[in-house]
Amino acid sequence: MDIQMKRGLLDVCVLAAIKSKDSYGYQIMKDMKPYLELSESTLYTILKRLETANLLTVRTAEHGGRLRKYYHITGAGLKRIEDFKDEWKEILSIYRFVTKGDDGNE
Amino acid sequence: MNKQEFLARLRRGLSGIPQDDIEERIIFYSEMIDDRMEEGVSETEAVRSIGTVDEVVSQILTDMPLTRLVKEKNKPGRSMRAWEIVLLVLGFPVWLPLLIAAFAVILAAYIVGWSAVVSLWAVEASFWAAALGGAVSAAALAVRGGGLRGIAMLSVCFCCAGLSIFLFFGCKAVTKGILRLTKWAALRFKSMFVGREAA
Repeated sequence: MDIQMKRGLLDVCVLAAIKSKDSYGYQIMKDMKPYLELSESTLYTILKRLETANLLTVRTAEHGGRLRKYYHITGAGLKRIEDFKDEWKEILSIYRFVTKGDDGNE
Repeated sequence: MNKQEFLARLRRGLSGIPQDDIEERIIFYSEMIDDRMEEGVSETEAVRSIGTVDEVVSQILTDMPLTRLVKEKNKPGRSMRAWEIVLLVLGFPVWLPLLIAAFAVILAAYIVGWSAVVSLWAVEASFWAAALGGAVSAAALAVRGGGLRGIAMLSVCFCCAGLSIFLFFGCKAVTKGILRLTKWAALRFKSMFVGREAA
């Protein structure tokens, strides 16, 4: 997949993984695994990027006698997901144009 | 390898990137290992599933912009001694031309590499053009009753077409190779900034 496109998709996927409730690094990786495989360092870079862009916030909480970082989606993050859905509609219509006549013999 | 060992090695491997960045990454990997162990995986296994330290370091470097590495390297860590400054200034006529020359040599080598790729593609294009030209002249000869000469021309045309198809794969492989080389060189260059423990 094209690198730019993949980067955008990864951002939205990570946001989607924390959309319904706050999550932590390993859980996000596990949730995404069936759809997009990514390494720890990639996830770290994405989380950092999303935090800098104010699309998510980070808090540290105690868990089982140690500290764990939880990621919380912001309003801007939710909006990013909605924007992605709109963009996707555009991409789908482009896709239909690109593949027009591929299977039928018109 | 246990967790402590892994994190210590990672810290060594990353020395050279901004300090707070190292701390944050160490915490991140530590948490990742702990969470895996919480699922019942052994410590060794949890560390192994993260990957080797070298892999992790090169991944981090690939994602990190070069400017950040250079900025960190040039941070005034300690003040220079007087004789170092004198040496630097006095040696200026010597080291500057040498530095420029070294850069020029590397740049030239890189340009030569790409020129080779470009010329290969040019050969490919000319074979293709020859095949096309051959086909046109063979058709012309056939129309004018050239007979044998037309057939000879046609066979030349097929030869060129065949060669151009062969060469196409070669050209593609070489282009891909030089792109990979560029990526590798960039990573090597970035590695020069990290991995050595601060004195």
